[in-house]
Amino acid sequence: MKRLCFVFIIVLLAVPFALMANGQSEDAQTKIAFCFQDLETEFWVAGHKAITETLREAGVKVIEKNANEDANRQLEQVKDVITQGVDGVIIIPQDGESAVTISKVCNEAGVPIGVFNRPPSDKSADSVVVVANNEVIAESAVEHMAQEAKKLGRKVTPAIMVGDLGDPNAVGRRKGFYNVIEKYPELWTQDPIEIPTKWDANVALANLQSAIQANPDIDFLFTSSDFLFPVIKSVLAPLGKWQKTGHEDHVLLGGLDGDKTACELLHQGYLDATGVQDVFAEAEMILDALMKAIENGNETPNEWLYDEGFALTQANLEERDMDMWGCILRAEE
Amino acid sequence: MNLKLPWHSKSAEPYTLRDLPRRVLLSEYFVLYLTIVYVILLLPFIPWLLNPMNIKNILSNAWPLLALAMGQTFVLIVIGVPDLSQTSIMALTSVVGAVVMSNYFDPVLFSKSPLWGSLIAENGGIFAGTSLATLGGVVVMLSVGLLIGLFNGISVALFKMPPFMVTLVGWNLWAAIATFLPKSENIRHLPEGFVAIGSGNIGPISIAMLVALLLAVSGHFVLSKTLFGKRVYATGLNPKAAKVCGIPTKRIIIAVYMVSGLCAAVGSILYSARLEMGRPTMGSTLLLDIIGANIIAGISLYGGKGKVSWTFFGVFFFIILANSLNHLNLPFYMIDIVKGSIICLAAVLDVVRTRASERRVYT
Repeated sequence: MKRLCFVFIIVLLAVPFALMANGQSEDAQTKIAFCFQDLETEFWVAGHKAITETLREAGVKVIEKNANEDANRQLEQVKDVITQGVDGVIIIPQDGESAVTISKVCNEAGVPIGVFNRPPSDKSADSVVVVANNEVIAESAVEHMAQEAKKLGRKVTPAIMVGDLGDPNAVGRRKGFYNVIEKYPELWTQDPIEIPTKWDANVALANLQSAIQANPDIDFLFTSSDFLFPVIKSVLAPLGKWQKTGHEDHVLLGGLDGDKTACELLHQGYLDATGVQDVFAEAEMILDALMKAIENGNETPNEWLYDEGFALTQANLEERDMDMWGCILRAEE
Repeated sequence: MNLKLPWHSKSAEPYTLRDLPRRVLLSEYFVLYLTIVYVILLLPFIPWLLNPMNIKNILSNAWPLLALAMGQTFVLIVIGVPDLSQTSIMALTSVVGAVVMSNYFDPVLFSKSPLWGSLIAENGGIFAGTSLATLGGVVVMLSVGLLIGLFNGISVALFKMPPFMVTLVGWNLWAAIATFLPKSENIRHLPEGFVAIGSGNIGPISIAMLVALLLAVSGHFVLSKTLFGKRVYATGLNPKAAKVCGIPTKRIIIAVYMVSGLCAAVGSILYSARLEMGRPTMGSTLLLDIIGANIIAGISLYGGKGKVSWTFFGVFFFIILANSLNHLNLPFYMIDIVKGSIICLAAVLDVVRTRASERRVYT
């Protein structure tokens, strides 16, 4: 038994080397580490694909690290890749706060860092930040919903599924929603009902169920992220409220991201509008800025780049659907 | 009391080459040997493994885990069942500490917190801006850790509740309270003095290292040199016999849970300081690392066996393993598979070593 254990130990110790034999050739190639918090939504999957493919096409060696939604693990991973001598780091942070801490670590090490789509909660550290103009995009989508509500000739009960407010994306989207609410005060039966989601489908499901039970007349619902549409459907369908536009029980529905599910729902007629972030353009923006910093020897580039986005609605669906990344992925399939 | 423990016994037999595997396997430095062999094997593939910057990374990752694992060692020696609530104690102490010492709370994020207007306001927590901020925060964090440990200990020792259930419920309960108090928000703007605990140095030595080593040396002293330590082993080896011998086993059980809570709070201080925030999700993925480091260290899941020095070796092996797997750029699931397999193997090895050492003592 003891000998067997020794054999096991030797085998286990050898596993990493065997895995490593898959080929790592050290050369003068530019190395960029891509450290992401997880890939739990279509948006992050598409972002991951866009970034890694674009980097590899550019001849850059990509080191990928998945923190599995653990901010501390992501910090350790970033420190490890810095030790490996990477030329730059791109992160999708767990939240805006950890983006600041990690950016400071990169600043101290003199490694340029890019923060993709989830911006730092303050600007105390230098980084290239690519972020959607969430407020404007959300406002465009909710504006379309408000115009549809006006056509009903009655007041509606608004609700918003709020993201993690530690994430500036969620704050911007909430603000865009409220800009429209304040613009048309005569349209609402009451102040909006806020449904916390923490960017977590389980939290969103529990809170949406409670909100609908407490306020069964909700008929104007904006979700701060498209990945929650399956959750919304699972709550509304049993109540007979998952209906297409034009149906008397249709809940005016809007979202933001522009994912594949949103594209399908728009085409099927369940969704009124969604704000679109251009994930491919954002990937290109961050790579261009980071590569430029590396080439210029700029160790602490500090630049905020905005994706202005747009709203894809039932009104412009035919003309603009192929401008939305989710529809492109859908078409590819 | 002169307690003779099986792994303390030394054989007078002469060394032979054939005996070497058994001797290495049974040695209390087994994990240290394993670590050295592992590093030597890896060096040709990861030449930067021993460069100063990577060693600094390994050390900075090891200190908080050492603090946590040491608390778990005390519980495992006496109970044999891990304290599952450690990570949620971390989360709660992280939040509570940040609540009292943070210098600013954004009303947009925190106005819905149940603490808003009483313990927290836009201009910070109750110690905000005072010279007591860091000290006050640390004392509050340690106190909360001790109190939860006391609660766990009383539940197990006095109310005879199963340790697994008590700490499993605690794992859920304290984490939920940690989420509820700040309404899931991370708390930033901690005092500079507190942040320095995670990243500052005194001379060439990091403060985190000093804190963790102080804790480890104290733990080692308590277990190996004091009457309390002997009672801990006696209770872990055979609680009924220990009770018959007049050892206050209930108090020992309560004390080890309090040590575990205290160590969880220290770990939380180190992690919160390095991340520069109080996080309601602090430590949520760490439980396997803490228990795994103990199992690799050879701390028995049957109770009654273990040393702080073993925990020290176990933590370092675990951290070096994680660090090296990161450097090999393996996918995260492959890293978890390798780590899980090694913990599993260590648990099997614990059984083998226990049997072998018993044979050596009794034959």
